[in-house]
Amino acid sequence: MSVLERLGGRLLAGHVTEREFARVWVDGGAHPHLDACLECRARYDAFAASLTAVAEDLRTEADAAFPPERLALQQAQVLRRLETLERPVRIIAFPRAARPVIAGHSHVRRWITAAAAAGLIAGVGIGQLLEWRRTLSIDRTPVAMTADRHTSASAPSSRAPGVRTVSVTLGDEDLLMGSDALARPRVPALGALDDLTPHVRDIPDRSR
Amino acid sequence: MTGPSPALASAREADGAAASTVKALQAEGRNAEARERYAELIARHQRRASRIAHHYLRDAAEADEAVQDAFVKAYSHLASFREELPFDVWFTRILINGCLDRIKARTRRERWVQPLSDARSPDRDLTERVATAGPSPEEALLARERRRTIAAALARLPERQRAVFVLSHVEGYTSREVSALTGLNESTVRVHLFRAIRKLRALLGPDGLGAAAEEKGKRRVGS
Repeated sequence: MSVLERLGGRLLAGHVTEREFARVWVDGGAHPHLDACLECRARYDAFAASLTAVAEDLRTEADAAFPPERLALQQAQVLRRLETLERPVRIIAFPRAARPVIAGHSHVRRWITAAAAAGLIAGVGIGQLLEWRRTLSIDRTPVAMTADRHTSASAPSSRAPGVRTVSVTLGDEDLLMGSDALARPRVPALGALDDLTPHVRDIPDRSR
Repeated sequence: MTGPSPALASAREADGAAASTVKALQAEGRNAEARERYAELIARHQRRASRIAHHYLRDAAEADEAVQDAFVKAYSHLASFREELPFDVWFTRILINGCLDRIKARTRRERWVQPLSDARSPDRDLTERVATAGPSPEEALLARERRRTIAAALARLPERQRAVFVLSHVEGYTSREVSALTGLNESTVRVHLFRAIRKLRALLGPDGLGAAAEEKGKRRVGS
C-alpha cells in the first residue's frame, strides 16, 4: 500500500494526520478524535515519544561536549575575568622603539626643535660671514697685469708671493713655449731618443 | 506549551533574589561578595547556557567563549536587569545575541578563509573514545550515530526554526519566553515550531532516524 493510499484511507476513516499531530503538540490542546480512537492515540504517543527522544539526544550530545571539569574551568575563567574588570586599568607603555623619537607633546620635543633651528641659523650665519671675509681679503690683494709676455716669461720670480695674475693673453708662441717645456724629457735616459725625434720647436715659424 | 512548572517557578524566584543581592552588593562596592553570589548564578545556569550556545554555534570551544562573554556582560550590566523578567530569560537573551554576533562574524570570515578540514567532527578526539563502564561499544556507536543524525537534521533547519525548536522543545521555554528571547511574535514562534517539527519528522522519519539514515545509507552505497 502506498503512502498516498494510506493517507487517503486515514482521511476517509477520520483518523488524525501527522500534520494534525504536530499542531496538537505545538498548541498543547486536546483533539476530540484522540480520546475516541485508540489507534490515533497510540500513533500520537509514538509521535510525542519520538520528539522527546530527539530532545533528549540533543541534550545528551550538547552535555557530552561540556563535562563537569570543563564547566568548572569555565566558571573559574568567568570569575577571573570579573575580577580583572573591577581592577583599575593598567596602561602598559607602548615599546619606545616603535615610536618616533620626537613624537608627542613634550619639553624634549620642543628643545630638540629649538636646538635644530638654532644650529641651522648659526651654520648659515657663520658660512655667510666666512664667505664675506674671503671676498674682502681677495679684493685687497694687489693686481699685476702681465701685459708684456716677455717680461712675464723672463722674470717670473720678481713678483711678490701674494701677487695674483688677473688675466693673461697668450699667443700661439706662448703656447708653443709652454708645450716646449712640457715636451722635454724629464728622464735622462730618454735624452738621446729625444734628440733624434723632430720637434715642433725646431720648425721655423714662417707665418711671421 | 504550558507555563513553567512549580519547581522552575521557585528556581526563578531564587534566581531573582540572587540577582537582586548581587546588584545591591555591586552598588555598595562590595565586589568580592558580589562575585561570590554571582558564582552561584553561574553554577545554576552554565550547563543550560552551554547547551544553547552549542546548538547555535555547533562548536564547543566557541560556545564556551560565548557563554563566558555572556556571563561577564550580564554581570557588568546587572544594573539594567529588571526583576519582573526571569533572570534566565534576560541572561539567555544576552547569550543568544552574542551567539548570533559570532555566527555573523564566522560567516564573514568563512567567506574569505577556506577551512582545511571539518574540524568539528566529533570523531576528532580519540580520548573521548576510551573504554568506560557505560554501554557496550556497539550501543555507544549506535547512540552516537543516532545523535549525529539528529544533530545533522537539526542543522538543516532554517536558523529561526532551529532556534525556536531548541529553546522551546529542548530547553523547555514557553512560547512567551521564546518570544521574549528571540524578539519574535508569540504566534510566529508557534508557526516556526510547527514547521520545525514537520521538517524534522520528514528528515528523520517516523521512528526518528528513518529518512535521514536511509538517505545516508544510500549515499554510502552509491559511493
